[in-house]
Amino acid sequence: MDVFEKIKQAIIKVQPGIDEIKIVPAARLTEDLEIDSLTKVELALAMEDAFGFYLPDEELQNVATVGDAIALIESKMKESKLRTQNA
Amino acid sequence: MPNRVVITGYGAVTPLGLTAEDTWQSLIAGKSGIGQISLFDAADFVVKIAAEVKGFNAVSYMDPTTAKYTDRFTQFAIAASLQAIEQAKLKIDDSNRYDAGVLIGSGIGGVNTLSQQYAVLGTRGPARVSPYTVPMMIADNAASRVSIITKMMGPNLCLVTACSTGADAIGIAYQMIKHGEIKIMLAGGSDAAVTPIGVAGFQQAGALSRNPDHQKASRPFDAKRDGFIIGEGAAVLVLESLDYAAHRGAGILAEVVGYGATSDANHITQPAESGEPAVKAIELALAGINPDAVDYINAHGTSTPLNDLSETRAIKKAFGDRAYKIPISSIKSMVGHMLGAAGALEAVACCKVLETGVIPPTINFEYPDPECDLDYVPNKARTADIRLAISNSFGFGGHNSVLAISKYS
Repeated sequence: MDVFEKIKQAIIKVQPGIDEIKIVPAARLTEDLEIDSLTKVELALAMEDAFGFYLPDEELQNVATVGDAIALIESKMKESKLRTQNA
Repeated sequence: MPNRVVITGYGAVTPLGLTAEDTWQSLIAGKSGIGQISLFDAADFVVKIAAEVKGFNAVSYMDPTTAKYTDRFTQFAIAASLQAIEQAKLKIDDSNRYDAGVLIGSGIGGVNTLSQQYAVLGTRGPARVSPYTVPMMIADNAASRVSIITKMMGPNLCLVTACSTGADAIGIAYQMIKHGEIKIMLAGGSDAAVTPIGVAGFQQAGALSRNPDHQKASRPFDAKRDGFIIGEGAAVLVLESLDYAAHRGAGILAEVVGYGATSDANHITQPAESGEPAVKAIELALAGINPDAVDYINAHGTSTPLNDLSETRAIKKAFGDRAYKIPISSIKSMVGHMLGAAGALEAVACCKVLETGVIPPTINFEYPDPECDLDYVPNKARTADIRLAISNSFGFGGHNSVLAISKYS
């Protein structure tokens, strides 16, 4: 499963009534997917479970779209790869 | 002039059915809703039985996201509320939004959510605790969610008075309408505390029956009673001023004619032995009404040795020799003790008694207790034309709450 698909599954998990077709990279979490502040924290917890990264609040604050979430996870993956190579 | 207050709808989710009507049919058939605990593994518990709601599907009443972020007690309250509104044919729109309030109490609140998240806190740390923990566990969440779903925008209230909760919610809603503060109230109670900590807590307090025979364990007023059976569920009623009900052409099911509440000021779990404070609550509920008119008593009748004795004493003191002539029954013999929902379901039962002329029995009444010698409608439903009923509810903390409900005429 690629990063987008895993995030999509996390969104469905925390917002089970959602119309899946709406979950696209350009979708805005609040305006398009109706994810409120509480559910955004649930989503962060679900993404932490899915990817195994800790996602600090300050980094999550800048996540406004599904695409932002993908970018955050991809940057975390790069960081962790570098760390593994340097180790 | 105070308003007359009428009941125009009710809903219930109980161990005997997922609607008020299904529950009623089982009650008058004398069926027990008590069984082995299935909601968690009770192998290590002395008490292994409960009155669980069976087959409840939250998404029949709410969207899946609401279902995910609501505790079971809130889900029960939503279901019961929507049933009540449907029966009342009540339409909430811009013309009456602020005339309609919600008062749904809970004795315990979202203890299931609290327990689950406490386990997360212990195993995975604070950063993993759900942000929904607080809104899901706080006792007012049932009322709040019902307000959000129904768009009733008058007072949104919750009341917590242990096992008197349901009766007090109806009583306070009645007073608000009576005194002209509001026209419509959705009132009732809900609880879902058949959880490890809920059962353990009541077990350790000595309140629960240790009788392993689930069909026989709840035996109010019987000599071999040894405690109550923890139950769960919700019941909610639509109360409105007679004027408003008449204005919208609503069908009227019954009238709330009195409410009395007192405190034992005595002990945090044991009822006052004399029963005097409960007598006072009955007198207050019947203020301005001839007590001789009471022709049915829906008892609190928990099946604990102390409650059933002090309640019997209170009924005798309140009604004198007539106490022996008034049919009294405890539906807890069948639905167990639904805690904060109990008084509300018992008010629904009173409405059904008034409507149908059938009194549900007290089942498992086999061995007479010389000190509990009234007419408890043993084991079989009875037909009688009932015009005025009272419903007693008492709670840990010394709450005594009595509702008087009559046929509407």
